[in-house]
Amino acid sequence: MKKKITGMDITIYIILIVLALIIIFPFYNALIVSLVPQEDYVRNPFMFWPKRFDFSSYEFVLGSAKLKNGFLISGITTILGLLYSMFLTICTAYALSRKKFPGKGIILNMLIVTMYFSGGLIPFYILMRNLHLIDKIAVLILPGGLNIFYMLIMRNFMSTIPESITESAKIDGANELVILVRIILPLCLPVLATVGLFYIVDKWNDWFPGMLYIKSNFKQPLQTVLRSIIASANNLDVSAADLASNKPMYQDGVKMASVIVSMLPVMLIYPFVQRFFMKGVMLGAVKE
Amino acid sequence: MDVQTVQGRKKDWRKLWKEMKKSKYIYLLLLPGITFLIVFSYVPMYGILLAFKNFQFNKGILGSPWVGFDNFRYLFVEKDFWNAVHNTFIISLGKIITGFPVPIVLALLLNELKAGKFKKALQTIYTFPNFLSWIIVSGFVLNIFSDSGAANSLMELLGFSRHAFLGDSGLFRPIIFVSDIWKGMGWSSIIYLAAISGIDPALYEAAEVDGANRLQKIRFITWPGMKATAVLLLLIAVGNSMNAGFDQVFNLYNPLVYNTGDIIDTYIYRITFQGNPSFGVSTAVGLFKSVINFVLLLFADRIAKLVGERGIF
Repeated sequence: MKKKITGMDITIYIILIVLALIIIFPFYNALIVSLVPQEDYVRNPFMFWPKRFDFSSYEFVLGSAKLKNGFLISGITTILGLLYSMFLTICTAYALSRKKFPGKGIILNMLIVTMYFSGGLIPFYILMRNLHLIDKIAVLILPGGLNIFYMLIMRNFMSTIPESITESAKIDGANELVILVRIILPLCLPVLATVGLFYIVDKWNDWFPGMLYIKSNFKQPLQTVLRSIIASANNLDVSAADLASNKPMYQDGVKMASVIVSMLPVMLIYPFVQRFFMKGVMLGAVKE
Repeated sequence: MDVQTVQGRKKDWRKLWKEMKKSKYIYLLLLPGITFLIVFSYVPMYGILLAFKNFQFNKGILGSPWVGFDNFRYLFVEKDFWNAVHNTFIISLGKIITGFPVPIVLALLLNELKAGKFKKALQTIYTFPNFLSWIIVSGFVLNIFSDSGAANSLMELLGFSRHAFLGDSGLFRPIIFVSDIWKGMGWSSIIYLAAISGIDPALYEAAEVDGANRLQKIRFITWPGMKATAVLLLLIAVGNSMNAGFDQVFNLYNPLVYNTGDIIDTYIYRITFQGNPSFGVSTAVGLFKSVINFVLLLFADRIAKLVGERGIF
């Protein structure tokens, strides 16, 4: 029985395509702005195809040490942070996935409490100062260690692994550490990939600690650098003091070129890793 | 129930110790995580004391003089503070009202598509903005709504004069809502699609046999299958109301829109790092926020259990 294409079908298609265009538009607009000379842009920002191409914004951005450093720092903090976080998450998730042991409930509650309560900004800043982490790259890595939510996702997955496997390993004389590494982890690859990717996104996009705790320009992560470029000399913010102080002012073309360049790695990788994120949702949803 | 003898109690302790020894590797595995939490989550909690002190740098937290609730008394007559609280609730509520239905509708629409390259491509496009930082998204927004941006160009095209969108405090909240939807609707719709995929296909087949049309199928099969997820997400949103989106607001706001856009977190940031910082007052605001947050979570949890769904706690 062949299904007829109804008016409703067409309406749905149209709505979805329009929505897709709405999503795409800001990207496209940014691209255009980054590729046209400032004068053209000011006169007609809504153009669909530039009359003249101007790559000077990209020349500037790609030659900028600021952004290059940003990429470097972010790359380092993301990779090191990933290893660090995965270590903490795997150990904690596995331990909590084991059936009853003394103190399990208390520890679990301790963890969940931290999801909802914190001392606030000031005590944390004071702590960073006392630990001598201010203006050190480690401050971009260490505090972001354990995301309880992700840990719970991993724990839930690990607890679905049948007891029989771990029991028989224990009978063969394996201790918990061996079981974790040789048996559990290989079975957990999907959730490891998903949680790993979530961590990577979080760390790559991190900008606030860089702004708060890092003073040296060359140690700032990418998003913090990007922020300083975008926030500079907004049309509303330019004051006589700004002009006099020689603070960097960037044209819109440079701002958007910076955005595009910063976004490029994520954009290129995303279609390939998308399914891991989707799977992650499935893993979480199934638990419900 | 017989009375526990001293011998009996000794046996309990010994049993506990045996259990703990058996689990020694589990404790070893827990050690890194717990250490991390103690250092980075529990130690700063002790800084909450600052809310009740008048912090002086040279004296440190312990040495600073105790002032009881003075910081709070100062705070509760501050106009800017209540403005921030008010905005936080309005913006959170607005995000829920405007943003909650969109992913649901999107999921229902996407669900009507056959699986295939087109559907996958759409999902990639819709979900991508969710993984961008607010720095990048605010870059887009600031660009589009700037004085010489696409929005103003459209205004001119339609015969209106240019408008300073970003400085208009009346437009700030709508911009927040719309950009939040733009960024998040795709990803949230995936969560609903996941819930829909858990619905038994036999139900659809039976409905088909009974002659149900598309809307009836949605109403009687798809929506009930999504309801639990929707309720859960709604509760998480409500429980999270005190947050209102610092990353987003901080990168989009400016002094011209403080009266409608300043939220608690941005207020805390400003009084801490700009102007004359009073750490005691800042911490007091943070404490206030945490307490209200906790109450909201309890409230959301209670409602969840009342309607028969699983709670948060």
